[in-house]
Amino acid sequence: MKFGIFYEISVPRPWDPESERTVYERALEQVRLADELGFDQVWAVEHHFLEEYSHCSSPEIFLTACAVQTKRIRVGHGIVVCVPQINHPVRIAERAATLDIISGGRLEMGTGRSATWTELGAFCANPDDTKKTWDEIVRCLPKMWTQERFSHEGAAFRMPPRAILPRPYQKPHPPMWVAITSPDTEIDGADRGLGWLGLTFGGLEEQEKRIAEYRRRIKVCEPVGEVVNEQVNTVNFLYCHEDDATGVAKGRRLQGTFGYMAAQLLSAREAYPTPSYPALGLLPQLRPDADSPGDSVRVPDGLCIGSPDRIIEAIKKWESVGADRVNFLLNAMEVVPQEEVLASLRLFAKEVMPKFAKTESAEPAAVVAGGS
Amino acid sequence: MPLSGTLDVAPRLADAPKLDNYDTEAWEIAGVELLSLTFEIDDRQMTAALPPALHPTIPPVAYFSVAAYPESPIGPFALAQVRVGCRASALPRGFLLRAYSDSPAACDALGRRWGYQCLPADVRLRRYHDRVVGTVAVDGREVLRASLLDPQPISGGSIFHVSTMNLARADDDGGRGVLVQVDPAYTFHRAERGAPEVATFERDAWNAEGIELVWPVTATFVRCDTGFPRIRYVLDAQQPARTGTRKLR
Repeated sequence: MKFGIFYEISVPRPWDPESERTVYERALEQVRLADELGFDQVWAVEHHFLEEYSHCSSPEIFLTACAVQTKRIRVGHGIVVCVPQINHPVRIAERAATLDIISGGRLEMGTGRSATWTELGAFCANPDDTKKTWDEIVRCLPKMWTQERFSHEGAAFRMPPRAILPRPYQKPHPPMWVAITSPDTEIDGADRGLGWLGLTFGGLEEQEKRIAEYRRRIKVCEPVGEVVNEQVNTVNFLYCHEDDATGVAKGRRLQGTFGYMAAQLLSAREAYPTPSYPALGLLPQLRPDADSPGDSVRVPDGLCIGSPDRIIEAIKKWESVGADRVNFLLNAMEVVPQEEVLASLRLFAKEVMPKFAKTESAEPAAVVAGGS
Repeated sequence: MPLSGTLDVAPRLADAPKLDNYDTEAWEIAGVELLSLTFEIDDRQMTAALPPALHPTIPPVAYFSVAAYPESPIGPFALAQVRVGCRASALPRGFLLRAYSDSPAACDALGRRWGYQCLPADVRLRRYHDRVVGTVAVDGREVLRASLLDPQPISGGSIFHVSTMNLARADDDGGRGVLVQVDPAYTFHRAERGAPEVATFERDAWNAEGIELVWPVTATFVRCDTGFPRIRYVLDAQQPARTGTRKLR
């Protein structure tokens, strides 16, 4: 079991000239500490226009700062929105390769397609098309990184032969992942040899079934790249405290705040009817039974909040359902003071990490040579 | 935390309908035809259009709908609504600015039973092969012409209709007003999607001063079974939905 942290970079109102800088500086301080403590990965999302919820529109720049301020932690670029109106596929490949070089081969490459009308509508991307364009782009990225010259005639984009430069530092290319939120995306990922980058919180029983199907399917995959990444990376909240009641209470505040803010987003399906988005993004899992505005945001099972013992038990459950990695959200809307975030990380590293098998240094996710 | 509505509720309450009680029986109606349009609106009104109980969506949106109900306990009627998209706590909703119906009996019943601020008008829904058109005229003046252009069939399962929040007066609201949650179920028999077009939108007729349509999103037309359910929740219009929601059943 490996552990990581991930960032949405949420910036609460009221905003002043220092607000965003403060949140970024705090995040970087957390990343430096996580690196020292032995966390394996730091991930940063790509979101646009999501006021307060996420001010992380250029994650490759944040991750570059993470890379140069750390020695060993791997940098997770994810997910990169594989929608050509938002990111030209060549620019995705170029930026990722540069980040891999700057980080000394520590890049993990997450892919996805955005789930909000707020983002897709602003870039005039048709929600009907995003699954198709994601598919086309993830097939192209490894070729861009490895072919001497790359050319393409597709629905999402076309281009004459060019050398896509620079090339990634990792050979043949960095491990690739896909964001898992909508139903059946795990099958898409498995069939393409992509790692599972879970973005749904909790729900052990449901996740166990989906992970099992993913494991079964990936054994017979036709990989898009030259390596198969068969790792399952889940997401969770972290608030670790010596006093269990304090840890649970503050952790629930963190989880509730994140859920409340996520629910404010205008999801693609809510705004624009399309079979491409069968789920309302994060909403159903945050409020599966809630139909009263007075209901609290649901507390999913398997959360890593509370005392070290409670968190150890939660992680063991995740381990038992097949997760290889857990990424932690440490804060939302800055409801957890920075010193408490750092203390939580330290306590987790001291009391929880030793209970789980761990390698000496962070390792890339790719585990199986591919080739179709 | 997210932005909240800043609408001064008191002046709106003067025109808001008075609920008979909260023990409304459901109307289940088959064969309803429903045209719905979504537009992004100018963000300068994103909080001013909503009561303090609700959060605006980002981006802010307005929903236009024109529906034909072929039967009901008060007979067939057409109903047009303009709503502003919002969140009641974490839940997607549409706050009703105003409604019109071609049936005075429907206006009366919808107001007393579910809190619709509904006025009589000539409300029409017309389906053509190249478009679906909903119109509302008040005393001969057209106040809404909303169309779906180039309808294409889709699955009804892809459509998400947000529930409605109606500002009303109630015996026990202490003069603060209540938001009545109207959350019908839908069984779709036919569904189409197309481009939205609003050719006429007289804002003064809809309590929609300052609402500017800035970006078309989508339009749908469905034939479905739906209706008006029993009231399950009411909210204090002037405090956050998270703390101001009352469960009735």
